[in-house]
Amino acid sequence: MAPPPLNSTIPVTDQVLVEEKLSARILALNRPRQLNALSFQMISRLLELFVAYEEDSNVKLIIVKGKGRAFCAGGDVAAVVQDINEGNWRLGANFFWKEYILNYIMATYRKPQVSILNGIVMGGGAGASIHGRFRVATENSVFAMPETALGLFPDVGASYFLSRLPGFFGEYVGLMGTRLDGAEMLACGLATHFVPSEKLSLLEEALCKIDSSDPAIISAVIDEYSQQPYMKEKSAYHRLNVIDRCFSRRTVEEIISALEREALNKKDDWISATIQSLKGASPTSLKISLRSIRQGRLQGVGQCLVREYRMVCHVMQGKVSKDFFEGCRAILLDKDKNPKWEPSKLELVSDSMVDSYFSVVDDEGWEDLKLPARSSLPVYAIAKL
Amino acid sequence: MEQIRRRTQVLTNHLHHLLQHQESEASPLSPNSCLNYSPPDLNNSLFSFNPTDMRIYLDYHNLPDRDWLYGLITQSRLFNPNQRGQKLFVSPDYNQSMEQQREMTMKRISYLLDKGVFQGWLTDRNPDSELRKFALLEAIGMYDHSLSIKLGVHFFLWGGAIQFFGTKRHHDKWLRDTENYAIKGCFAMTELGHGSNVRGIETVTTYDSNTGEFVINTPCESAQKYWIGGAAKHATHTIVFSQLSINGENQGVHAFIAQIRDADGNICPNVRIADCGHKIGLNGVDNGRIWFDNVRIPRENLLNSVADVSLDGKYLSAIKDPDQRFAAFMAPLTSGRVTIAASAIYTSKISLAIAIRYSLTRRAFSVTPNGPEVLLLDYPSHQRRLLPLLAKTYAMSFAGNDLKKIYVKRTLESSKVIHVLSSAFKATFTWHNMRTLQECREACGGQGLKTENRVGHLKSEYDVQSTFEGDNNVLMQQVSKALLAEYIAAKKRNKPFKGLGLEHMNNPCPVIPSQLTSSTLRCSKFQTDAFCLRERDLLNRFAAEVSQFQAQGESKEYAFILSYQLAEDLGRAFAEKEILQTFIQAEATVPAGSLKDLLALLRSLYALICLEEDAAFLRYGYLSMDNAAAVRKEGTELCSELRPHALALVTSFGVPDAFLSPIAFNWIDANAWSSVQH
Repeated sequence: MAPPPLNSTIPVTDQVLVEEKLSARILALNRPRQLNALSFQMISRLLELFVAYEEDSNVKLIIVKGKGRAFCAGGDVAAVVQDINEGNWRLGANFFWKEYILNYIMATYRKPQVSILNGIVMGGGAGASIHGRFRVATENSVFAMPETALGLFPDVGASYFLSRLPGFFGEYVGLMGTRLDGAEMLACGLATHFVPSEKLSLLEEALCKIDSSDPAIISAVIDEYSQQPYMKEKSAYHRLNVIDRCFSRRTVEEIISALEREALNKKDDWISATIQSLKGASPTSLKISLRSIRQGRLQGVGQCLVREYRMVCHVMQGKVSKDFFEGCRAILLDKDKNPKWEPSKLELVSDSMVDSYFSVVDDEGWEDLKLPARSSLPVYAIAKL
Repeated sequence: MEQIRRRTQVLTNHLHHLLQHQESEASPLSPNSCLNYSPPDLNNSLFSFNPTDMRIYLDYHNLPDRDWLYGLITQSRLFNPNQRGQKLFVSPDYNQSMEQQREMTMKRISYLLDKGVFQGWLTDRNPDSELRKFALLEAIGMYDHSLSIKLGVHFFLWGGAIQFFGTKRHHDKWLRDTENYAIKGCFAMTELGHGSNVRGIETVTTYDSNTGEFVINTPCESAQKYWIGGAAKHATHTIVFSQLSINGENQGVHAFIAQIRDADGNICPNVRIADCGHKIGLNGVDNGRIWFDNVRIPRENLLNSVADVSLDGKYLSAIKDPDQRFAAFMAPLTSGRVTIAASAIYTSKISLAIAIRYSLTRRAFSVTPNGPEVLLLDYPSHQRRLLPLLAKTYAMSFAGNDLKKIYVKRTLESSKVIHVLSSAFKATFTWHNMRTLQECREACGGQGLKTENRVGHLKSEYDVQSTFEGDNNVLMQQVSKALLAEYIAAKKRNKPFKGLGLEHMNNPCPVIPSQLTSSTLRCSKFQTDAFCLRERDLLNRFAAEVSQFQAQGESKEYAFILSYQLAEDLGRAFAEKEILQTFIQAEATVPAGSLKDLLALLRSLYALICLEEDAAFLRYGYLSMDNAAAVRKEGTELCSELRPHALALVTSFGVPDAFLSPIAFNWIDANAWSSVQH
């Protein structure tokens, strides 16, 4: 039997499943074959639901989870690239516009969002969960922002949340696309809790009974099912000193030479793998990502998303570099894993080329991302503005 | 009694309103809170321009480097991070003892050194790396003045002296070691008896041709070196400014290198060091006093770019005139004034960002019996206090950028204009900063008193700027003196004015319209005319008065001293006109749109406030009384037009949230009982 065509496996309306349990709403991302990659329809649906629930006094808590072995593997970038190739890049811009608005609503949400991260959480999946109040990791969690290998940059507000990780771990995770497990996510603060997957159904049941929006009460309930996970010996989290020493340097080039100096001092597979990985990523992506994370550290979540929207439009416009299309070809479409980046070397990406990604997009009718008006925010959301 | 009843009712209504609001939102209101913090940032979407675009015009250069530096500070425990409410702030712990603050300053320097912040600060010499150095130092100064001053002494004074006064042998021997902090330098110029008047210092150095050494001596108590940053604790080496006496003949002030501590921090023989003690600010800098008791240094330690002493003890200099020799010596010290001017503006930015953000969230009094209390910045009087200072800070940002640009591209020909501009801007900006800090501190009410809120405390940290690296009043006199010299030279040669921005004197005298309409007042042509008219007239008057005193038999020097009032007015007129012109130039580089429109409003407010504040305009009749009234009215109008953009305009300063203070954000949460408990 021939496999069904990709997008028709599940009717659009069922790509996000909704369960109502007292004052809790459980939203399940439901495109398991695509690892729940966010389609435009899913983003629109999530946005619609979140906006409605915020005004609905019967809703006090939102749980977001994924069907199958992923929470969400990211935005459906392949579809976006196809759109761009068929028409103009502005179609892609609509996708990111809506996605970033969803990220902003989640970051400034008046009610607690509990995300159950029992599987892959990457790119857009991180954007749909990390901004929320509670992030529950499990032994199955795999987090990554893999954009630099794809010719993109960590977006969906990652310049906000990565830059706020301890020390320079954010630069490390953002530039490298390093995979983090549940224990690492908890240690660095990407997750707020670690719950073994076997207890998830009990946790969900307990959450549905809470009937409160009080973060302290919700946190206490999750605490009951939480445990302290074991941090694997090879975890990068044990390397925070080296990471801080190297990823705090001024430029990508200096980060790499700092790593090379470390490698000279002592032979270490981890360091050489790190260097290799950086050398394999898109040079343009590395440079714009580093700058984005560093700016993001000093900006509110809204400003971060406005900046990222400018950047992603430049990426799609492809005036400086077409690495995004090349990355998607090599990783997602042809799967030869051998992208030919252009510019091919870090030193060929000048400061002014990087600057241009942060400037107003020169295209008829283009506008900066317009953040929706928000009001009556809880204290923790106010602090993110 | 009536008043109390009214107040009670207002508060009740307010609470009632809040409670209703909360019910409809169905989110719990903590029972003991009575006011809601409403973040001004929520109206982000109403910004008519993107502050990150405006920031590019203000910061102007090396924005990613600045952001990198801010990040280095916020990501390290060394910078005393402090969680207040849900926000993180960084600021030194000024409650530490002087000794602790000094040690922390040194630790922070080691950290920044380790991150490569100072790479190329002395060993790269091109305009780009010089600008990067300025940007990084500015960002450091926004965290803590002590930290930037301690670095400034080491790199700009000690390092700068070696670069500029020294020759290759000094560069090779010292610059790299300085950049790596293998040695720690200081700069012993001022003495107990002599500050701005460097030529009067009393330290004496002689040459011993038998050993080929110089011998440095502190002949009397007033000759002790005083205020020497770094000397009290950390410095291993110093530049010593001293009279050079060769065979009994005084050759004037020269600079030498002397070691004052060994690598372990022990004070060298024949050197005595004492502490300057606790200060009103800047306690992270170890200012000290030094006495030299026949300290012997090798002949090579004379910084010999201008003059040298041969092995057999002959004095050699290409510049025969000691006055010129001294001027050649002092010229390189302008870099200090350039950095001070820039740093003053960044401090003003911090205080304005804090005070304006607070004024957008804090309410006081109602205008109607049952109405809600009014937001501070909605009071025209509050706008009038803060927004002109905001406009001036914008104007001075552009002027500071211009000065840096000229400075890093300096040539022999531009040294005079750099000297005059850096003197004028250093004095003007630092005075502006002190005034801004005081106004902002008062605008924050009692909250302005708390050290954690920065604005009040910054006054004592930055007060020193008005007198160090050239006393502001002395600097402004030098500006007027230079303008007068230019005037006399032009008249003597009977040639048009060229240089120091006096070219406008060659044109016909501008005429101010008798009726000033709103559109005239906002026109850059009118504004420039008014500023040029003032400068031209004051320069004429100043020259006339000085020559009149001379005609009465006074010396040129004394005539100048007697004309001090016109000299002060002229210095100010020059500085304000130069600032206005850089503003107009910066504006011209901005593409048409809301950002440019906003800049035009700010420029007009800057110009009109200067017209209003300087009594010279009325005293000498450049403006009629009607004109002056029109200027005042237009200023108020401009303030109300700028009011809706106030948040965007301070956001454009690009000061990281962590460098502001709790009252700039959710000050209710920051002061909640829950924050007391841990």
